[in-house]
Amino acid sequence: MLTTERGRIVLGLFAITVLGIAAVYLFGGKDSNLVTQTVVTGLLLGGVYVLVSLGLTLIFGVLGIVNFAQGAMLAMAMYLVYFMVSSAGINPYLAVVLSAPIMFGFGWLVQSTLMNRLITDVGHSRPLLVTLGLSLLISNTLLMIFGGRPLNVPSPYAGSVQILGAIADVPRIIAFVGAVIVAGGLIVILRKSPVGLAIRAVAANGTGASLVGVNVKRIYAMTFGLGAASVGVAGGLLAPFTSLVPSAGDQFTTLAFVIVVLGGLGSVPGALVGGIFIGLLQTVGSLFLPGSGPLLLVFGMFVLVLFLRPQGLFGANK
Amino acid sequence: MKKHTLVVVAVAVALGMSGCSGTSNVAASGDSVDSVTIGSIHPLSGSLSGVGGLMNAGAKMAVADINEAGGIGSLGGATLVLNEGDSQGKAEIGQSEAQRLISEGAVALIGTYQSDVTQNVASVAERAKVPLVIDVAVDDKILEQGYSYSFRIQPDATSMGASGARSLIAMGEATGTEIDTVAYIHIEGAFGGSVFEAFKTEAEATGITVADEITYSGANFSDATTQVTQALASDPDVIVVTGYFPDNLLIAEAVNALKPDIKAVFGIASGAYDDNSFPAAAGEAASNILSANYHYSATSDRAADIRTRFEAANGESMETASMLSYQAVEVIAAALEESGSVDPEVLRDAISSLSLTDPLLEFNGPIEFDENGQNINATVVVMQVQDGAVEQVFPTEIATKEAILPAFSR
Repeated sequence: MLTTERGRIVLGLFAITVLGIAAVYLFGGKDSNLVTQTVVTGLLLGGVYVLVSLGLTLIFGVLGIVNFAQGAMLAMAMYLVYFMVSSAGINPYLAVVLSAPIMFGFGWLVQSTLMNRLITDVGHSRPLLVTLGLSLLISNTLLMIFGGRPLNVPSPYAGSVQILGAIADVPRIIAFVGAVIVAGGLIVILRKSPVGLAIRAVAANGTGASLVGVNVKRIYAMTFGLGAASVGVAGGLLAPFTSLVPSAGDQFTTLAFVIVVLGGLGSVPGALVGGIFIGLLQTVGSLFLPGSGPLLLVFGMFVLVLFLRPQGLFGANK
Repeated sequence: MKKHTLVVVAVAVALGMSGCSGTSNVAASGDSVDSVTIGSIHPLSGSLSGVGGLMNAGAKMAVADINEAGGIGSLGGATLVLNEGDSQGKAEIGQSEAQRLISEGAVALIGTYQSDVTQNVASVAERAKVPLVIDVAVDDKILEQGYSYSFRIQPDATSMGASGARSLIAMGEATGTEIDTVAYIHIEGAFGGSVFEAFKTEAEATGITVADEITYSGANFSDATTQVTQALASDPDVIVVTGYFPDNLLIAEAVNALKPDIKAVFGIASGAYDDNSFPAAAGEAASNILSANYHYSATSDRAADIRTRFEAANGESMETASMLSYQAVEVIAAALEESGSVDPEVLRDAISSLSLTDPLLEFNGPIEFDENGQNINATVVVMQVQDGAVEQVFPTEIATKEAILPAFSR
């Protein structure tokens, strides 16, 4: 692992993170319990960011579509889970499993009926505008059906556990585990399955892939569907600790784009590592900087990485 | 990549500048005495559409009630018409909506829920010499411009911070609870900052130490554990909180998870802690949380009747913001009745010298405006979530339940 470039990056980032946290413990002048709590909270927040970024990195990386509807789709998935829980009374985590294929179907439909007509065009502005319209359509439909007052999905596993003296919220731990599982699942699909091979081929060179017999438009639809399904799982896992309003997904959109570009377009491991890193950076940063300060830190780091590695941490060198 | 970035920026800019209003245009003219048009501006779409919709519904109900009771008597029974504007939560859209409503004949405006939107609408109202009755908008600055056409029913940020501090101290004394140190968590920006400053000044004058001030960004906040842990590091007796619904809910949940040895969580101008949907949303975490805020009167029969009918008509509980919109329409109607004129300048003078008794909010007295346009009798009351419901607990004259302080037994 050490011999590959990717291995060195992972190790380097890990070393920076550990050294940074150690420095905060030793020289930060903060109570060590407080720092432990912050690190645990940061890891869990990172899990949330990973969940939100996974779908985006697929859609952005393979299709080249800047999906402005990401936040709205996330909210849609949350409301889907809310609807199943409140009307049928099923367990929210079962609802997550059910909402993933529904979102897959939705993504497939959007790509095959709308996007595939535009994607052959030169430039990326048309699909982008369609996603923008889609986002307005989704959030206003949600507003019409559910209203704008905050709703909530009660978690059957509400409560918290102690980790090294720090408090960790159980639904957030479940979301973190879910993030790792979804990331692992996507890596397996992309690396080991024939569909994954086709997706990677299309991402690398669409024309080449179609020459060797890959149905590119079908792969596009499949990819958008997979991305939407990831968003579906994300929304469902986030719902138990989020105030549900039609704009609930928007606060994650900007950071998700940052994480996806930071990790490298289309790279699932990149989104995983990038998300956790950003979550930690933001939370530990909030110990020292008030208000929006931690976000400044995040964007500063983003600019630095882009300067040193424009293709992102795990991006292919094009 | 470069192309992507350019397109993203272009779209983001376009998104910020564009925006269309989806409201219906009600034809009206200010000269007619058959009907009088009031313009309302609230966020009917966007992230604040929930509360904006409630406020709009409150104003609509006030107009319907007044018309049903015979309209404006001194104008020969003229009926009120509400022309609805949508600010989309954006200052520049609110401003253009204000211009549209005035050009369509509104003799007075109400709105707008957000301080930045209100600031822009107030400047339009001032230039057009049309009175603006602010239902909700907390920032002190709005009325510090020397405007003569803006009036505010609710208390401003500074008075809420100061009276919040006084209420906390008085409650501590009344219940024999020692409160020496507080930590303050608030949203960054003018709203959180000005409430905090006023609280700090008032609290420190009476010997309470504000041990820590922790701010967070409202735009990106999905976990409050770090902020609450930081607040607890100074070992406070009470954690004081100012912010909006989602963030304040997260803070309550983090406090509940950490189960700290504090005597109370005390919201001031909190968007969550006295909202009727808060107890259900937070569950166990809502229990015994205190909130100093302006509030619809829970002791007035008139307010109770309005709330019952509102809930029957809209299927949703009538929150305080919505009651303030109702009240704002009543203020304008009373001034129309008083002046017998639809000339906005005459109407302004009538509002300015108005004394409206039996307010729908738990205030110190009738609604009367000082020379800046601030309602001099506006004040906060303290509420507490008890048994899954928001109850008024302080001052004792208006209490619906007795205060539980210390709020936690840990």
